[in-house]
Amino acid sequence: MASLGRSVSRTANTEALARARQRAALVPDCLVEASRIAHTAVSGWHGRRRRGTGENFWQFRPYTVGESVARIDWRRSARDDHTYLRDREWEAAHTLWLWSDPSPSMLFKSDLARASKEARALVLQLALAEVLARSGERIASPAIMEPTAQRNAAERLAGALVQAQDTAAFPDFLDAGRYSEVVLVGDFLDEPEVTMERLAPIARRGIRGHVVEVCDPAEEVFPYAGRTEFRDPETGSRLTAGRAETVAEDYRRAYLARRETLAGRLQRLGWTFLTHRTDRPASEALIAVHMRLSGDPAGGRRSA
Amino acid sequence: MLPLAFGAPAVLFGLLALPVIWWLLRLTPPRPRSEVFPPLRILAAVLKKEETPAQSPWWLTVLRIVMAALVILALADPVLDPTSGTVSSRGPLALVVDNSWSTAPDWQRRVAAADRLIDQAADTDVPVSLTFTASRDNDPTPTSAANARERLRAARPQPIPPARERAAARFTEAFSGTAPGTLAFIADGIASNGGEQAFSRMIATGPADIRLIEGDGNPVAITDADNGADRFTVSATRLDTDGAENLGLDAYDAKGRSIATGRLHFDAGSATGSGAIDVPFELRNDFARIGIASVASAGASYLLDDSDRRRRVALVSGAPSDNAQELLSPLHYIEQALQPYADLLKPEDSDLAQAIPNLLKRNPSVIVMADIGTLPEDVYPALEKWIRNGGTLLRFAGPRLAGTTAKDPLVPVQLRAGERALGGTMSWSEPQHLAAFSGSGPFAGIQAPQNVTVSRQVLAQPSPDLEERTWASLADGTPLVTAKTEGEGRIVLFHVTATPTWSNLPLSGAFVEMLRKTIALSKASPTGGTDNGSGVDAGAPQSLPPYRLLSAEGILVEPSGDARPVTLRKGALPRPTLDNPPGLYGTQDGFRALNLMRAGDTLEPLAMPEAADITRTPLVDTAARALKPWLFALAMLLLLVDSVIVLVMGGALSTARLARAGRSTGAALLLACLGAGLCGLGAPRPAFAQEDTGSDASTILDKIDTTHLAYVVTGDEAVDRISRAGLEGLSRFLTNHTALEPGPPDGVHIDSDPLAFYPLIYWPMAPDAAMPSDAAVGRIDAYMKNGGTVLFDTRDQLGSLGGDGAVTPQTQRLRAILANLDVPPLEPVPDDDVLTKAFYILRSFPGRYAGGRMWVEATPDDEGRADRPVRAGDGVSSIVITGNDLAGAWAVNGDGSPLLPTVPNDPRQRELAYRVGVNLVMYTLTGNYKADQVHIPALLERLGQ
Repeated sequence: MASLGRSVSRTANTEALARARQRAALVPDCLVEASRIAHTAVSGWHGRRRRGTGENFWQFRPYTVGESVARIDWRRSARDDHTYLRDREWEAAHTLWLWSDPSPSMLFKSDLARASKEARALVLQLALAEVLARSGERIASPAIMEPTAQRNAAERLAGALVQAQDTAAFPDFLDAGRYSEVVLVGDFLDEPEVTMERLAPIARRGIRGHVVEVCDPAEEVFPYAGRTEFRDPETGSRLTAGRAETVAEDYRRAYLARRETLAGRLQRLGWTFLTHRTDRPASEALIAVHMRLSGDPAGGRRSA
Repeated sequence: MLPLAFGAPAVLFGLLALPVIWWLLRLTPPRPRSEVFPPLRILAAVLKKEETPAQSPWWLTVLRIVMAALVILALADPVLDPTSGTVSSRGPLALVVDNSWSTAPDWQRRVAAADRLIDQAADTDVPVSLTFTASRDNDPTPTSAANARERLRAARPQPIPPARERAAARFTEAFSGTAPGTLAFIADGIASNGGEQAFSRMIATGPADIRLIEGDGNPVAITDADNGADRFTVSATRLDTDGAENLGLDAYDAKGRSIATGRLHFDAGSATGSGAIDVPFELRNDFARIGIASVASAGASYLLDDSDRRRRVALVSGAPSDNAQELLSPLHYIEQALQPYADLLKPEDSDLAQAIPNLLKRNPSVIVMADIGTLPEDVYPALEKWIRNGGTLLRFAGPRLAGTTAKDPLVPVQLRAGERALGGTMSWSEPQHLAAFSGSGPFAGIQAPQNVTVSRQVLAQPSPDLEERTWASLADGTPLVTAKTEGEGRIVLFHVTATPTWSNLPLSGAFVEMLRKTIALSKASPTGGTDNGSGVDAGAPQSLPPYRLLSAEGILVEPSGDARPVTLRKGALPRPTLDNPPGLYGTQDGFRALNLMRAGDTLEPLAMPEAADITRTPLVDTAARALKPWLFALAMLLLLVDSVIVLVMGGALSTARLARAGRSTGAALLLACLGAGLCGLGAPRPAFAQEDTGSDASTILDKIDTTHLAYVVTGDEAVDRISRAGLEGLSRFLTNHTALEPGPPDGVHIDSDPLAFYPLIYWPMAPDAAMPSDAAVGRIDAYMKNGGTVLFDTRDQLGSLGGDGAVTPQTQRLRAILANLDVPPLEPVPDDDVLTKAFYILRSFPGRYAGGRMWVEATPDDEGRADRPVRAGDGVSSIVITGNDLAGAWAVNGDGSPLLPTVPNDPRQRELAYRVGVNLVMYTLTGNYKADQVHIPALLERLGQ
């Protein structure tokens, strides 16, 4: 029997760009952070009056259980029997840092998937760039592209990615400013601790993040059986399972446990977490990310 | 001559595949499918180390190769044929088969051996000549193999010795022109008269190849059987004198039923052995045939005829038969003495002229005449003839005999007229004691009684032969018993009366012994008696028709047409031949047994002419021993070993050390496995032994010293805990309130623990626990039968409250247990039962629950004695059944506080429950003592106090 999954070559950026354009065309204009744009010097289209992180008062609203006690406005609450929170108007810097995982583990596509994880991540990244650039957001990619607000940001990003193929390591996002947001697309197969070690410094700098985990269905459902030798594309180490089907259940549990742990940690950081399987259309993930960027978490997995 | 042949030799080419199998085996395990798998680290965390080495160790491969080779060999259907070989093709195959009596046990094997030779002859395409040495019709002319095979099938072993000479004569006649190719004797191994010469003559016909096939059995034959005074002795002979041998003897009665057994013993190196059947005389008289157990041959069967049988004794008395005064009847003492040992015949009428001929017609062995002086004249000739033919006339003296003046022909010695009185008023002499019996006489071995005195006797005339005719004499030398041989018969005279009037001899035990000896000396069935109608005198040849014949297997069968009447010359039987095979000859009423062997016969090993070049082969069981199942079994065994090794290497048998040892040396591993298995097998046995010796003396003493209450350990943890706590509570209550201070309660396992120490065993029903085994129920049954009481508690009074007739699991369990027990009829405890009064006066028997009835053994109804204060049941009910959960009410904590609430929660009910317990214990310990106690007031009143 032929192998179920295989390593694939890196997707050509132009091809990915074309596909990304297609996806992006399906997404309505991204009006992310219109409100924030109104409050910044950087040009945007029109502000969206919404609550969010900012400095100006927006509204008082009743406290609901579970929210941070620190946010209670005691002065207002003292006036009657209810407890109120002071919401501020959302204002942030509007640079969106897009990053997709270029590591070899992403170069994997099983028979169950439509595309390799790397291709899917790239498409997502470029599609987001296209959508956001259309909305006038500033797009950047760590260690690859400086922030730019140009309409052809997707093309520029694709070009920059071509230039910098060897950036395998996780970037440090040192250039990212305080109110910027990051969108990380990858498989995050490392231990949740390792991943969080990388992400926590970013979050500490006040950067909001959206993590999209792209996984191959083969990784999730583990459809292997019989005597199978597994090879890690990153380290090249091998592991032989005498009867792979016997460990499937344990493996799935461990795999999902890792994901749950990661999601939980990210939630604590205030980041959003989204999983995307490569046997699903990319537009699903694009819309979900778009919703989250728009501050509407109803589009998929609930974030903090 | 390769003894190994293959049924499917083509399969052996499969052995060529062994290198391929080797290569395949070296490749194990199969190559894994290679998969790229990015989340390898997650997988690595869950994947246990189950690496198999890329190559199995060489010895494992060798093991598997051997396994494969064995399977291939087995499929090739190998056959081990040690008798393979071919007969000579130079002439006909001459088979000489002994079908004498000793071949019967292994006849089929002999036929098979002959069959194989015939097969080989058929293969070699030579004719076959077949000779049976014991058969009547022999045609040694060579014929076709099919014909010979047919004759072989039809041949049967004969119950006679082989007649080899006659066979040899026919044989040489048939082979006078041509020489046989292969001459094969299938011999019985026993020398026969002229056997060696017969073989020489047959060998002289010039066969190319001589074979002697001998059986491996050890023929054994009974040569003599004797119904002795106190046991039945059997002599036997055997062929193979090596080693001691102990055989069983079976005695059969006339209907072929085995009625007694004995042992037959051969000493090492001895060809003759002896055995005994030690059973009472009465039983011995019924023996019709003695057989050696497990040997089915005519030689191992010994037929018995009348000579060993119970004698027929006719009693004739001259005195008028006076039934009113039996003790004075002269025949009374003889009757009493002979009743156990002989069949007694009495004359139908008192007229001796009629009576004696009638008695003679019934062919008695002995005629006892008590005090008969003269007989009717015409009786004498018949009587004399009967005596000459073997009859024994036993006479007792008396006034009539003493008073006879005529010369009596039927006395052993000349008698003086009149009797001699000793110790009378007119005599100086003292009554005489008996002298010791002569050691060589017929009464040898009988202790002469010291307290017997003879005060009167008839005297013999002195004569030269008086001494030798005297069997017993008095202390002064006068003869007391004299005898004379007359023809084959005998006349015996006791010189005293058969009544205690002349001497007290008839009252002594010696009298019985003397009569028995005399009777035993007589001939069982005097031939020539008027009964069997031949009427010929002894000495004349007498012909007896076959009545029952012995088959070669030693079984009595109806005579075949071949057997001819046997001719007795001077009363002796001839040797058995084909015409007169062993068996019973005569009629149903009287027959003679013709046995194969006679006393003194021995079995000699077959001697062959020394000059001849003879190949000796043993008789083998089967032509070919198929090796296929053995090879498959071996392969299976190796497969098992292989599985164990694979398991060990896979880490299934734990310890890494063992596994490491297994990888390093396979032999060590195998030994370790075997050793571990043996240890595992051996280990539990000492443990069992330990358990068995658990009830040693000190434990028993401890149990006897103090009364212990006991409960059955059901195996249900909760139930057993409550049982123990309950009995502890009851023991405490008993100690506080009664004179009984029981020890700590014991939990008993009814299938192993001794139960005899406990007066009362509490058995709560636990439906979840295992059903007691049949053995355990049997022990409980025995315990109850021996006086123990079992208190069954279903504890389901509450559970069965609502249900009308609904059966709770506890009750079902109780029913299942009682179904195996021998339970007497039960009834609810009657109001006046001892149980209600044994210690406390009780009206009900509550436990944790109130209201359930208690059942005991039903006592027989005392018809209408309602005024009695208590029912006087004898003994104690061995079974008490309640549903009230008594132990639950009794159960206490360590500090004495109740463990479970009563239902309803009423302290009074708990107190009553304890009282029920006290009454039960008192009841089991004292029985109906209390029932008697209640009568004390009435007794005292009756005594006027």
